[in-house]
Amino acid sequence: MKGTELVLRALHAKGVKYIFGYTGGAIMPIFDEMEKQKLFTFVMPRHEQGATFMAQGLSRASLSTDTPQIGVCMATSGPGAMNLVTGIADAHMDSVPMVSITGQVATGVIATDAFQESDVVGVMMPICKQTYMPLTTEEIEKTVHEAFYVATTGRFGPVVIDLPKDVQIQSVDENYSFNPKTFRPKLPGFYYHPSPEREVVHQAIEMMNRSERPVMFCGHGVISSNAGAMLQEFAEKTNIPVAFTLHGLSAMPVDHPLSLGMMGMHGTVEANRAIMNADLIISFGMRFDDRVTGKLNEYAKNADVIHVEIDPSELDKNVATTVPINADVARTLHVMLHDPELVSKPRRRWLKEIETNRQETVAEVEAEVAAGVGDGGKLLMKTIIRRLSDITEGKDIIVPDVGQHQMMSARYYNFQTNNSWFTSGGAGTMGCSLPMAIGAKLARPDERVWSISGDGGFQMNIQELCTIMEHDTDVKIMILNNGYLGMVRQWQTLFFDGRYAGTPMISPNYEFIAKAYSLPYQKVTELDQVDAAIRTAIDHNGAYILEFVCDPSEVILPMIPSGGGFGDMIVSRHKS
Amino acid sequence: MTVKKMKRRAILAFVQDKPGTLNKISMMIRRKMYNVDTLTVCKAKAAGVSRMTITLREDDEAKVLQVIRQLEKFTEVIRAKELDREQSYWREVAIIKFELEKKTLEKLQKKYQIEILDAQPHDIYIVQIAGPTERIDSFLKDVGSEHFIEIARTGVTAMDK
Repeated sequence: MKGTELVLRALHAKGVKYIFGYTGGAIMPIFDEMEKQKLFTFVMPRHEQGATFMAQGLSRASLSTDTPQIGVCMATSGPGAMNLVTGIADAHMDSVPMVSITGQVATGVIATDAFQESDVVGVMMPICKQTYMPLTTEEIEKTVHEAFYVATTGRFGPVVIDLPKDVQIQSVDENYSFNPKTFRPKLPGFYYHPSPEREVVHQAIEMMNRSERPVMFCGHGVISSNAGAMLQEFAEKTNIPVAFTLHGLSAMPVDHPLSLGMMGMHGTVEANRAIMNADLIISFGMRFDDRVTGKLNEYAKNADVIHVEIDPSELDKNVATTVPINADVARTLHVMLHDPELVSKPRRRWLKEIETNRQETVAEVEAEVAAGVGDGGKLLMKTIIRRLSDITEGKDIIVPDVGQHQMMSARYYNFQTNNSWFTSGGAGTMGCSLPMAIGAKLARPDERVWSISGDGGFQMNIQELCTIMEHDTDVKIMILNNGYLGMVRQWQTLFFDGRYAGTPMISPNYEFIAKAYSLPYQKVTELDQVDAAIRTAIDHNGAYILEFVCDPSEVILPMIPSGGGFGDMIVSRHKS
Repeated sequence: MTVKKMKRRAILAFVQDKPGTLNKISMMIRRKMYNVDTLTVCKAKAAGVSRMTITLREDDEAKVLQVIRQLEKFTEVIRAKELDREQSYWREVAIIKFELEKKTLEKLQKKYQIEILDAQPHDIYIVQIAGPTERIDSFLKDVGSEHFIEIARTGVTAMDK
């Protein structure tokens, strides 16, 4: 068997159904074999970066289904592989499982600056979980199986296999054998502890029982271990309120009575104040990223910290823990739920304090949402997202790009469906939305998927409209066009004396773009058109592009300025 | 506090003997800007395993624990631990070429255990000295830097008692 057949056999054995790839000289042999076998659904982006986000969308969205899949992207050597870098670094930051296969020049000419050669292993090493370059055809299957194992075990992440062309083409001899069922990767340095130690869990439970002002954190780890329902049950059983990280959203309904909404830089008032005043934090599957904590030496000063986290290097990395629990979130919650000592306390004063904080800005915010337009008469993003949320009852899959609209989507969409929220968080890669939504739709074909971009991010991977056109992918596309890079503009308004350097954004005529890609389109300028436009997109069978003309001076609040602590939170435009 | 005055630590790591392992670890040291003094690698007793000794300067105990955890995060790193200064031996070797009067050299030979590798015209010698860092530093000070022609030092290797 040839190397190309072995690669595909291994991918097939790992349950891969979709391959997101872009061909080229060094990867042609694999593509040729793919064409012969017709075992996979091949989706070609119009830029290799699109392939990485499509693979991410597929991995993330399928996680909660009965058939979780790992997104696989393929590119050729040199520039093809280099175009995967951003998407792989993004998956690394957000702990998304993904396998990338890049063609490489033949082993004989490696490191000679051959045509379309680049040091993929060297470049990818710091931005993925593991890099591989099999140098013999016999190593191929074991490498692919090990790659999948590493990507999906412990803390998820991207893995890169750089496959030289001659290794692809060569055949193995008749003595070669590989049994995927009995294969175990030899990784003496790779181990993780999925199960928590009972004594440690018990210690945590005792602290929870004693605490008067506890807060629970729901991070990406809750989603990754499919533990949303358990977390909700645990919150209800202990009567402890839950704050969400950006990636923890949609693990449980965000309007649950115990939900504090998102926390951190653009988190809710009630979440952030609760954390400031908490005496105990119980965090599940999150890494105390700076967007969540603000200034570390002012963070949660009065709280003990219980940190449940699969990656031991995250324990005590940013925040000192009182009870570190190095374990899988789902298993830990299971043990916690069955601890006989677990009690529920009414904590009336604490919950009342939280409610008072929640009410502080409700009137102002709701008035703004109801007004729907800014001072210039242009639409407000928060209103558009709220209308979308109401019309879809919070049940749809939301895939925003990066920026103000992303924060608006996080704050104003009433997430009801488990694992229905995908975005670029740690890296904040603009242009992620359109391709990620394509991957998400492939994973969840029976659900409705919304790609929500700003005018800046939409242009970054606009070419993927062609993939949508080619595959008739039913992604509902919203462009919240405020003519600026909104988030940066907000910072420039608040901290740079309103000097808008590099933020004014001129867009092409999106109506013509939509037409060029044979996609239906509607521009929305008035408040009374919003609902009808959303419903038209919903009712249309297939992709639909809605462009909303938005107010550039809208700000997303609350906001904790970078380098500031929770005490510096800006809550309202009007109150100082 | 200057880096030099911070507490010196030794971390012993057992790593897979594969291409790229050293690359990955030095990449992490660069990125996290650990104050690494020396790094030595040799083959360990077990096949396919290398033994890496890293000395660095760090006062904060929590940060040292972080270094170990970040090292163990790599699939190539089998195990990493800090070596207690009092419970381990830290040794290095130096080869020094210098110009010195015979009488001065004989005085130093009485004080230090050195091996003369080569004696060249015009009072030029190449000597070898092995031992703890402090002893080698002391020897170099006694020789006097004005006499040095070339110095080659290995860096620290260490072993638990």
